[in-house]
Amino acid sequence: MNPLLLGFDILLSTTLLGLALAALTSREPRRGVILFIAFGLLLALVWARLRAPDLALAEAAIGAGLAGALMLSAARRAARRRQ
Amino acid sequence: MSLSEIHLAVALLLLATMSIGLIRVAIGPTPSDRLMAAQLLGTSGIGLLLVLIPVIRVPALIDVALVFSLLAAVAIVAFTRRRDGEDA
Amino acid sequence: MTFMTLLSWLSVACILAGAFFFIAGTVGLMRLPDRLSRLHALTKADNVGLGLLTLGLLLEAPGLLIGLKLVLIWLFVLVASATGAHLIAKRALRADGEDAH
Repeated sequence: MNPLLLGFDILLSTTLLGLALAALTSREPRRGVILFIAFGLLLALVWARLRAPDLALAEAAIGAGLAGALMLSAARRAARRRQ
Repeated sequence: MSLSEIHLAVALLLLATMSIGLIRVAIGPTPSDRLMAAQLLGTSGIGLLLVLIPVIRVPALIDVALVFSLLAAVAIVAFTRRRDGEDA
Repeated sequence: MTFMTLLSWLSVACILAGAFFFIAGTVGLMRLPDRLSRLHALTKADNVGLGLLTLGLLLEAPGLLIGLKLVLIWLFVLVASATGAHLIAKRALRADGEDAH
């Protein structure tokens, strides 16, 4: 296997894992949601790397785009209710 | 060094800049900083997908990049709409 | 040197220049002191970087449809980035105490 490609895969997987940990352990809702959007973007890249463009399309459109926007609005309502 | 190896090296470099930009997403300090960095992440992700096409030979990835670019504005609009709702 | 090798060298040069602008944008994001100068740095640098990258890939595009999609991607990113930068900057100027809650 090409060492450059191996390095690419390792960097991609470790970044994805670190991002998932950061999103799960964040205490502020808006920080968690933005980290989740970034996680969706990277997961779409992982699907693209695994030669699954259909899954990458679904993840980019639903996971990062629509779910991110909906969760931002939900985090805003939660913050308003807490006040 | 062949052409697709250069593409792969550029893809690796873009991935490295994305991982460094993620630090800014994580440390903030303000929500605008986080969203800004996420926007840079989206743009670098599009570039990464585009240079990945000749490397792994999946031409359909260009449609994924198209969807990325179309949805780039959605998160920012959803994020800034919050402020107007509070002002009203 | 034939025309094809000249074209592919030109393409590689464009792609490498685009990667340089992406690095410059990331350095600006990490090193600049305040929010508005960070916004200034990265909304310009990464658009130029993506533009050079699409130009480099356009020189080697296999067909008309692929080339059209590449140009379209760059135009969409330009529109989204300009709108987003404007919205974020307006919000950063108006909103005092946005982190209070």
